[in-house]
Amino acid sequence: MAATDLVGIAVTTIILGSIYGLVAIGMTLIYGTLRILDMSQGSMVMVGSFVGWGILVVAGLNPVIAIAAAFAATFVLGVLTQLVSVQPLMKRRNAIDFEMVTFITTFAVAMILTNVALELLGPQQRNVTPVISGGVNIYHGVNLPYQSMAMAIVSIALMAGLGIFLARTRWGMAIRAVAQDLDAARLMGVPVGKLYPLTMGLASALAGIAGVFLGGLYFAYPQAGDLPLLEALIVVIFGGLGSLPGTVYAAYAIGLIQATAEVLVGTTWSLPILYGVILLVLIIRPYGLLGKPSEARL
Amino acid sequence: MSALPNKAEPTPAPPAVMRSAVTLPAFPDMTPARWTVTSALVALAAGIPLVMTNQYALSVMVTTLILLVLNISWNFVLGVAGVWNFGQLAIYALGGYGAGIIMLHTTVSPWLAVLAGGVVGTLAAVLLAFPTLRLYGIYTSLLTFAFAVVIQYVIVNDGSGLTGGTFGLPIVKGLYSSLSLAASARAYYWTALAVVVASTIVLAAVGHSRLGIALRGVRDAPAYAAARGVSPMRYRVIAFAVSGFLAGIAGGLYVSYNQSISPSAMGLTPMSIDVTMLVIGGLGTATGPIIGTILLAIVQTSLVSHPGAELTILGIFLLVVVVFVPDGLAGLAARYWRRISAWAAEDDQSGEAAGPGEAAEIPEGSPDPNVA
Repeated sequence: MAATDLVGIAVTTIILGSIYGLVAIGMTLIYGTLRILDMSQGSMVMVGSFVGWGILVVAGLNPVIAIAAAFAATFVLGVLTQLVSVQPLMKRRNAIDFEMVTFITTFAVAMILTNVALELLGPQQRNVTPVISGGVNIYHGVNLPYQSMAMAIVSIALMAGLGIFLARTRWGMAIRAVAQDLDAARLMGVPVGKLYPLTMGLASALAGIAGVFLGGLYFAYPQAGDLPLLEALIVVIFGGLGSLPGTVYAAYAIGLIQATAEVLVGTTWSLPILYGVILLVLIIRPYGLLGKPSEARL
Repeated sequence: MSALPNKAEPTPAPPAVMRSAVTLPAFPDMTPARWTVTSALVALAAGIPLVMTNQYALSVMVTTLILLVLNISWNFVLGVAGVWNFGQLAIYALGGYGAGIIMLHTTVSPWLAVLAGGVVGTLAAVLLAFPTLRLYGIYTSLLTFAFAVVIQYVIVNDGSGLTGGTFGLPIVKGLYSSLSLAASARAYYWTALAVVVASTIVLAAVGHSRLGIALRGVRDAPAYAAARGVSPMRYRVIAFAVSGFLAGIAGGLYVSYNQSISPSAMGLTPMSIDVTMLVIGGLGTATGPIIGTILLAIVQTSLVSHPGAELTILGIFLLVVVVFVPDGLAGLAARYWRRISAWAAEDDQSGEAAGPGEAAEIPEGSPDPNVA
């Protein structure tokens, strides 16, 4: 393996890992707090890339406005998703099939969002102007587009920001308290009813921002969320459901596996190889890297 | 003194005696009246092709019946056994490809090819079951879904020409290739209907046997079931094998009727539709898949002029049913049926009839007993 390959792998790992992390960390946040696997996160990526397309291409405005608008739109949509598909089921929270039922309802939301987008905007792939154009040649032949660099930086900043939000602010502490012990949090006066929509809105907004960048990297189209959703699912489960550090490690680990596989055996087989690795990890550690067995939580 | 002496003798151990002591009725819910109604409905369904002249409608019905076989198989592993298997469509497609390749390259009877599809489905399902044995819930769903994605990916990128890549298998000879178009459609209809009826009866009987009780026990309380000597792992493999066989048969029928199969048979869209059918009908019930599949097939057919709206409406359907009718339409019907029969019994002989049987019933609309 040449040095170019190594540099290429390192760069790709950081870029892929940062995108995966941004989408997956929202899913982890939701799973940690509400105990649901939110299948609508992929659609939030799609909505984010369409908002990015609308603001950057159709309206021709500033990227900062695009990011802010995507954040706002997907935040509202995430809150609505929670109110429609999860809140009515919260009274069945301790039922054995709660995870399955909410998996299905959020999946239904994803189905609705994707097909409404298909109906309103059509199936064609739209080019989203990169937030920043151009690139830099960092090593012999390894080109780094500014867009990817910006994406990695924004993702890392947002993940760090989320960490600080959870560790330092009252709302963040409330979210962590609910994740740790719902009843104790209630007794301490945490407004759980407001917290659930807030958590889902926040997580969706992170996915929405990821969508603006991913739209610039690929395209905006109704199924744009399918692949990010699949990748985020892999990351979340690989890292252990509900574990934020686990998710971040897993995001970069998956990025590394995929980047290495792409360089060594080509893009065609990188996905099957990724699944092979996940299979091994799950057989050896059925609860992911840092997850806890679900029995232990009962 | 009674528990020990078996040590020396290889003769039947006490559990075997206990087993024979309890005989389980195969169809505890079926009264003679219900058998009559069911038989009448099946006879009515079997008569449809005799009066139906619209070829398009008949082909929709055949497709629906084949889909129903798949949904019955999926309901067994997802609803009855409670294993989050989202790789069922891959098993179905593998069965279809297996049967199709045999039909294409050999001269054996197509019936054997369809059966071979079932065997391929069983093998694929058992292979898929082993890595999931230590996983629960969502983790199982990811692994099985990943399996489906990889299978689809491998088929699409297959360069050897065995599967035909994205375009699928070239035209294969089906079960009834010697019949005319109209006659073969009728023949397929009856074949698929026979498979639906047979598999519903067999799986309903299995559901009330020791196997079915063990599966539901493992689903509802894995730790307790394991403590009582019911091995979750063993029963999971059995559930996968049974449902895989039926899914493979469904795949074989699919490839035979459509004379082709391509990777689009196992994508995300067909999976969404199948899940919607199962959930709307009622997961884990014998009638649920039938109600859900037929109802949604009707909805789909009536929306055929608005293809874009179809999945949106299905999504809204799914959301509404899960939130308001948690046990699906089959569960809803059963609840109303109980209420009506309780009311009728009350009317006939006041007081006595609504005795212990009804009292043991879970009260109307009560939430899950697990709710704290």
